[in-house]
Amino acid sequence: MEKNFKQTSRSGAVAWLLQRISAVILFILLLFHFITYHFLTRTHAVEYRQVLERAQSWWFPLLQFAFLITALYHGLNGVWSVLEDYLSSRGWRLAWFSLLLTVGLALLFVGTLTIIKLYTLKVA
Amino acid sequence: MAKIDIHVNILRYQPDSDEKPHWQEFAISVDDDSTILDVLNEIHWKHDGTLAYRRSCRSSICGSCAMKVNGRNVLACETPIHRFGRKFKIEPLSGFQIIKDLVVDLDPFFEKLKRIKPFLIVDKPLPDKEFVQTPEQLEQIGESTLCILCAACSAACPSSWPNSEYLGPAALLKAYRFVFDSRDDCADDRLEIVNDKNGVWRCHTIFNCMEACPKKIKITEYLSRLKLKVVENSL
Repeated sequence: MEKNFKQTSRSGAVAWLLQRISAVILFILLLFHFITYHFLTRTHAVEYRQVLERAQSWWFPLLQFAFLITALYHGLNGVWSVLEDYLSSRGWRLAWFSLLLTVGLALLFVGTLTIIKLYTLKVA
Repeated sequence: MAKIDIHVNILRYQPDSDEKPHWQEFAISVDDDSTILDVLNEIHWKHDGTLAYRRSCRSSICGSCAMKVNGRNVLACETPIHRFGRKFKIEPLSGFQIIKDLVVDLDPFFEKLKRIKPFLIVDKPLPDKEFVQTPEQLEQIGESTLCILCAACSAACPSSWPNSEYLGPAALLKAYRFVFDSRDDCADDRLEIVNDKNGVWRCHTIFNCMEACPKKIKITEYLSRLKLKVVENSL
C-alpha cells in the first residue's frame, strides 16, 4: 500500500484528485460569493459601506483566504499539468516550476495583503 | 446515381524522392454517393498508381483506413464525400511518422497497446463451458469493447502530439476494458501500468478522442472511470 501511495503521488494521481476537490470547493465558494455580494443586499444596489461592513465581519477574511488559496492551487496546478505535456527536459521543468511557484507566492502575498487591508480599513 | 466533379487535395510523401510532404490536387469525376475510400481507389486505379493508403474490409471493422479529411479523423470506407462538398483535402493521421503518402507508422501505437496486456488474464479455475456474465457486468465494459484500433483517437489527442511516451486514449481504453471485465484477474497490474505520469494522468479530458472515434465510443468517460479506479485502488 505504501509503495502504491508513493507511486500515486509521483504519477499525477494526487494532483488529479486535488484538482477535482479544489474545483468543488471553488464552485461552492463562488456560489457563496455571488449570493452574498449580489443577492443578499439590503438596498436596491450594492453599496460601498455594505461591502466594507461585510468585509469586516469575522468570517469574511477566512472565506476570502480559502478562496485565494483554492483558486491559486487550482489555476497553477492546471497550468503545470498542461506544461508537463510539453516539457521533457529536467532543466526546463525546473525553470517553469520555479516560475509558477514564484507567480503563485507573489499572488498569494498580494491577495493576502488585500484581504487584510479590507478587514482593517476604517469605515467612514 | 449521378457523376460529380470533385477536387481533392492529398498530402503526398514519397520517401525515395520527397524531402518533405507536399499537397497534390486531383480533379476527378466520381459517383455522387461515393465514400472517401472510393475516391482514393478511383485516383489509385485510374489516375496515379503510386498513391499509397491502407484499406481492407470496406465495412468499418478493420480500422485500416483511418485518415484526416478536412482536419477531421475519419474512416475513409464509411465516410461519404457529400459531408465535405466538392473540394476537400486528405492527410495522414497526425502524430505518427509518415511512411508513404497516407500510410503512417503505427508500430508505436501497437507497442503502447501491448504494454497494458490487451488480453484476458484468468487466474481462477476455468469454467466447464463459457464464462457467465450478468447484464450488469457486461454493462460495465459496455461499448469499450467496440474499439477497432484504428488509432483515430490517439491521433486526435493533443496530449499525444508533444509526448510520444504517453500511452494514448486507445491503449488506456483497452486497459479500462480489461480492468472492468468481471472475468479478468489482472486489474491490479494494469492499474499500476496506467498509474504513471505518461499513463492515464496525461489525459486532460479534452474530448477530441470521443469526437474522432468512428465507433462513437465515450472514451473520455471511460478514462475518467479508470482514473477514479486508480485513485480508489492506491490511496
